[in-house]
Amino acid sequence: MAARYETALIRLIIIALLFGAWEFAPRADLVNARLLPPASEVFTVFFGLIQDPGFHGHLATTLQQTLTAFLIAVPVGALLGILIAENRFAGEVFKPLVFFVFSIPKSIFLPMFILAFGISFWQKVAFGVFSTIFIVMMTAFAAVASVRSDHIRVARSYGANLRQIIARVYLPSMTPVLLEAVRLAMIFNFTGILLAEMYASRAGVGNLIGTWGRGFQIPQIMAGIVTVAGLSILFNELVRWFERRCEHWRGDR
Amino acid sequence: MRLDATTVRRLLIVLLIVAWEVLPQAGLVPRLFLPPVSATVAALWGSAPEYAYHLWVTLQEVAISMLFACVGGVAAGLVIGNSVRLRQLLLPLASAGFAIPLVILYPLFTAWFGIGPESKIVFASVYGFLPTLLGTAAGVQTIDRHLVTVARSLGASRFQQITRVFLPAAIPTVLSSLRIGGALVIVGVTVAEMLTSTAGIGFLISRYRTLLDSPHVFAAILLVLAMAIAFDWLVQLIERRVAGWQRAIRTEQAPAAAYS
Amino acid sequence: MNKDVSGTIQVEGVSHTFVSNGEKTHALDNVSFEVPKNRFVSIVGPSGCGKSSLLMMLAGLQTPDEGRIICEGKKITRPDPQRIGVVFQEASLFPWLTAEKNVEFPLSLRGVKPAVRHDRAREALALVGLEGFGSRYPHELSGGMKQRVSIARGLVQDPPILMMDEPFAALDEQTRTVMGDELLRIWEQTRKTILFVTHSLGEAVYLADQVLVMSARPGRIIDRIDVDLPRPRRFEMMSTQPFMELRERIWRQIRH
Repeated sequence: MAARYETALIRLIIIALLFGAWEFAPRADLVNARLLPPASEVFTVFFGLIQDPGFHGHLATTLQQTLTAFLIAVPVGALLGILIAENRFAGEVFKPLVFFVFSIPKSIFLPMFILAFGISFWQKVAFGVFSTIFIVMMTAFAAVASVRSDHIRVARSYGANLRQIIARVYLPSMTPVLLEAVRLAMIFNFTGILLAEMYASRAGVGNLIGTWGRGFQIPQIMAGIVTVAGLSILFNELVRWFERRCEHWRGDR
Repeated sequence: MRLDATTVRRLLIVLLIVAWEVLPQAGLVPRLFLPPVSATVAALWGSAPEYAYHLWVTLQEVAISMLFACVGGVAAGLVIGNSVRLRQLLLPLASAGFAIPLVILYPLFTAWFGIGPESKIVFASVYGFLPTLLGTAAGVQTIDRHLVTVARSLGASRFQQITRVFLPAAIPTVLSSLRIGGALVIVGVTVAEMLTSTAGIGFLISRYRTLLDSPHVFAAILLVLAMAIAFDWLVQLIERRVAGWQRAIRTEQAPAAAYS
Repeated sequence: MNKDVSGTIQVEGVSHTFVSNGEKTHALDNVSFEVPKNRFVSIVGPSGCGKSSLLMMLAGLQTPDEGRIICEGKKITRPDPQRIGVVFQEASLFPWLTAEKNVEFPLSLRGVKPAVRHDRAREALALVGLEGFGSRYPHELSGGMKQRVSIARGLVQDPPILMMDEPFAALDEQTRTVMGDELLRIWEQTRKTILFVTHSLGEAVYLADQVLVMSARPGRIIDRIDVDLPRPRRFEMMSTQPFMELRERIWRQIRH
């Protein structure tokens, strides 16, 4: 127990040291302060940013697109994945295809989405879904595989009906893996939306960061990065916390 | 006659390619969105020298970035994965870092290093580094420590324990991490080129996009795909040559993280 | 006059306590025994009786807190595979090496010439009945064959002593019986001193000249039983009165 707190403490110290170096190095002229503004300056910009109604507008655009794409990609991907994996023949036909598409770079198709949809809300959402859905399907395959046939056999032999088998065997077995799908999907999805915004758009955090980049507004870029990083880590750790709560029975983890 | 899965899958692929030619030709899909295969191949053939030049630029950037991302990621992964202390300390940080959409770093890198190859190399190296590290560190943990004890009982010195047992046991892990990291490096370079650059395949994609010349865009996309697939095949080939034993032990595994 | 100490082991007053996760475990308590040359000695005991610790010490992988272990008149301080060949339980083969390269492994550590290595490995494989399987990888071999390779690896340097840590534990009952007979054949042929750790009482009695019975933690030797069944041992003996009595006697000791 004590060791765990100690680890957390050392980790905190490492992080503090990093931030310290970030603050100190530009101030001591070890690095060019124009290229790497001290942490305090970046955080001043950051606090200004999160109080700025204009920025809220951009943030809202990004979050709307991200959430919409997420809410489409995860259920659709999970359902497709489960259906494919549950049917032996469909699995044999489609699994290698999904596997292949999953393993090819998808960002490079972004221009085709612009050519098809123009620069719009739905173009970003479509690209977000496209970047995400395959990882969800892959994870859904793994989720189905994690349901052990002997558990089903035991449930059946004790007289469980289909509904009971789904509720008592399938869901508990698949939940941890599906949560992993949610976590990975968000990473892929957020990346996709931000890239689409940086590439061509009129609004959104990605667009802002891109614009700042072209204008060499380094404190602003870094404040933007802090915002995005904070949001993604927050979501990620939230899902992870939830995963851990669901996984207590998986002793081997 | 019953069709087996492989046949159905092949038919499906053929069907897709045919649809890719026929649908835009028939006007069922806008040609702007999906240019027919023939037009795409014609574009590729017609501008071959231009594609070749830009492909060469991209390949150089990819090669240098891979050196940084993969060598660095594997080395860091081996060290971290091998020490319980470091693992407890750093892995949570690394996996939290993995959640950050790294694309947003690119504008910072262009501001720092300009729009030449340097910013692409830095970006792609960073992009491929973390997954390589995480993959290697996770794999190192699965190495069977019992084998080290066995080697010790057979008289292996400390040095021999590392070179004769630990490293061979780590090779499959290292290769599969390279596969993921290398793939990400290719994406990283191309995406960076698409965003801001003056040369490279990604640059071509974006330039033809603004010209609304979709066959040329698609041709460039195909080249990137070919590059990614060729890389993947190459690593798989090496895997089969030097790590066939591992392949036979574990069944096919999905890469932990792939392209985004 | 020099006493002939070749192929002998003496364990003298060995006690050991190990610490893991801040918890002290008293594993061995004043264990002493002697194994004369060419003898086949089994060690049995309930799980967690410190058999493994004892074995790690015999293999030179651990040093006891108290007492000493002497092998051929010399104190064991580190692994010495030329004196003691070790055969571990289950998968201890290197999966990336072929059967032959696995057997060659201890030789190559010492920098023995490839040609010599090759010949010795083939001889060892032939001895365990695996002629022609040298180029197979472990995953291409059955459980029994893998253990044969392990035995060949233990024997390849022709050590006078062979130490075996539950070598057949992971095998099914039938293969286990076959491997037991094979081991006896190899033993008759090579006349090694064999120290055989097992948790199967039947196996212990069937194979050995003497059975050492260990108590639950902290491990102590609570009985030494001489097995006076005739050799060669045969499968039918397992259902004879003397065999059953020996088994009974061990079982009674271990139970409490």
